[in-house]
Amino acid sequence: MIGKTLKGFLLVWLLSGCQPAEDKLVITGSSTISPLMADLAEQFETQSGIQVDVQSGGSGRGISDARQGLADFGMVSRALKTDEQDLTAHLIGRDGIAMIVNAANPVTALSNAEIVAIYTGEQQNWSSLGGDDAAITVVHKADGRSTQELFLAHFGLNNDQVQPDMVIGENQQGIKAVANDVNAIGYVSIGTAIYEADAGAPLRLLPLSGVPATLESVDQGRYPLSRELNLVSQGELSETASQLLDFMTDPDRAATYHDYYFLPVSR
Amino acid sequence: MRWPDRLAGMIGGLLLLAVLVPMGLMLWSLLEQGAGVLSMDFLLEDPRQAGRTGGIAALLVSTGWILAVCLLVAVPVGLGCALYLSEQVPAGTRRAQWLGGVLDMLAAVPSIVYGLFGYQFFAISLGLGFSILSGGLALALMVLPLMIRSAEQALRGVPMSYRQASEALSISRWGWVRRILVPQAAPGIAVGIILSIGRALAETAVLLFTAGYVLRQPDSLLDSGRALSVHIYDLAMNVPGGMPRAAATGLVLVAILVILNLLVRRWLRPAQGAWQ
Repeated sequence: MIGKTLKGFLLVWLLSGCQPAEDKLVITGSSTISPLMADLAEQFETQSGIQVDVQSGGSGRGISDARQGLADFGMVSRALKTDEQDLTAHLIGRDGIAMIVNAANPVTALSNAEIVAIYTGEQQNWSSLGGDDAAITVVHKADGRSTQELFLAHFGLNNDQVQPDMVIGENQQGIKAVANDVNAIGYVSIGTAIYEADAGAPLRLLPLSGVPATLESVDQGRYPLSRELNLVSQGELSETASQLLDFMTDPDRAATYHDYYFLPVSR
Repeated sequence: MRWPDRLAGMIGGLLLLAVLVPMGLMLWSLLEQGAGVLSMDFLLEDPRQAGRTGGIAALLVSTGWILAVCLLVAVPVGLGCALYLSEQVPAGTRRAQWLGGVLDMLAAVPSIVYGLFGYQFFAISLGLGFSILSGGLALALMVLPLMIRSAEQALRGVPMSYRQASEALSISRWGWVRRILVPQAAPGIAVGIILSIGRALAETAVLLFTAGYVLRQPDSLLDSGRALSVHIYDLAMNVPGGMPRAAATGLVLVAILVILNLLVRRWLRPAQGAWQ
């Protein structure tokens, strides 16, 4: 009898250990933001003792997990669309997209019309754009990537019109594709491109509409192809969630944003 | 030796070289990029700053638990299914062909499908969330067809004469399976386990959606924990300047695979002596 009771208690105790901690925060979404978020979450945990679980998987998942209540915040590396207005966006930073070519390519600038012509396959050779007589390798991002959506929207393109030679997923893949191919053109996060170019990757960042692709021009809001980094939430924020949000937008965190080549939102 | 034979031998050797050279180059490039980071501290420290500093201790723990859950489910269930197929479904019958075809198809399903299913079923429907348990179970589902097929082939490979002898001695069904059939098929089953471990440790897509992305040491099977493969993928693809640590983690993963291969091979050596 006593043994049975003990077993019962043990079972209850074991099962109660299975319950997720009450004050744990879950954040899911954009693979662009998740390394930054994991870093900030670690700092927040050390300071407050509140556990933060960061999950990756893409902006689309950030939206759906925030909607279904699976996450306290969804990470979304773009502005919310009109059919996503049921969610609240908290701007935490900015990122830009840079058009990149190989450093050995003599082309130093392209107009928007020329970029559109290249991506739709109307312009297939560098020679008429001031470059060598060589076929252009068009590097495009895969569906579901927020960089791709932003790129298409900016140039007024429909994904069916694009004639890519290579479809890539993450920023680093784009960097590698262009660094290894003298005739390639691609687009990646501006922070990633600047970091890799500084680290010696043979890349050239093309100015857009005459605005140079630098972190400064993005911060000043002049660079045309930049995006918001948002945490999205549904309904009222819990106390711990707003604590985390305050922590993340504190100016003291700026250095961490710069580590990932993002710009913190200036208060 | 006649010259066509010698030529065939040479071509075979060249083809082997053509396979080995890229593998060597791959290991070399990992070493070149990652050796500078690799140290005892790298293995014993927890990752910090999204993996840009610190080591991979927590990830080794998570990966170990995920693999343990996966094998604890996949090996018994896989062996059970394989025993059913080899004992109850005679080879060459329509049922055997149909079941074999289904298993081969399941083995060929892209892993991301298992990932999405695992996320939907284990993480959401069963409420396990992003956890080591979700990850291990989704991986088990993914490797099961492979496990079943290779164990089944090993079991079917045991000579008919052994079965006839055991029946002549009126050894019970269970005794035959436990004492003769499975030990004789052990090397083939070991290959199945090794292939399953290889697939499980290399898997990224499934785990990103189930076991998750959390870098902390897991306290229980219901905590999210990042596997080595997910870490390599994230460092190489999303973290600026993460490549050296991705390569070092890759080297550790390769070393773990080699060690596990050797252990399983040793442990499931063919039963010898009794029959000679």
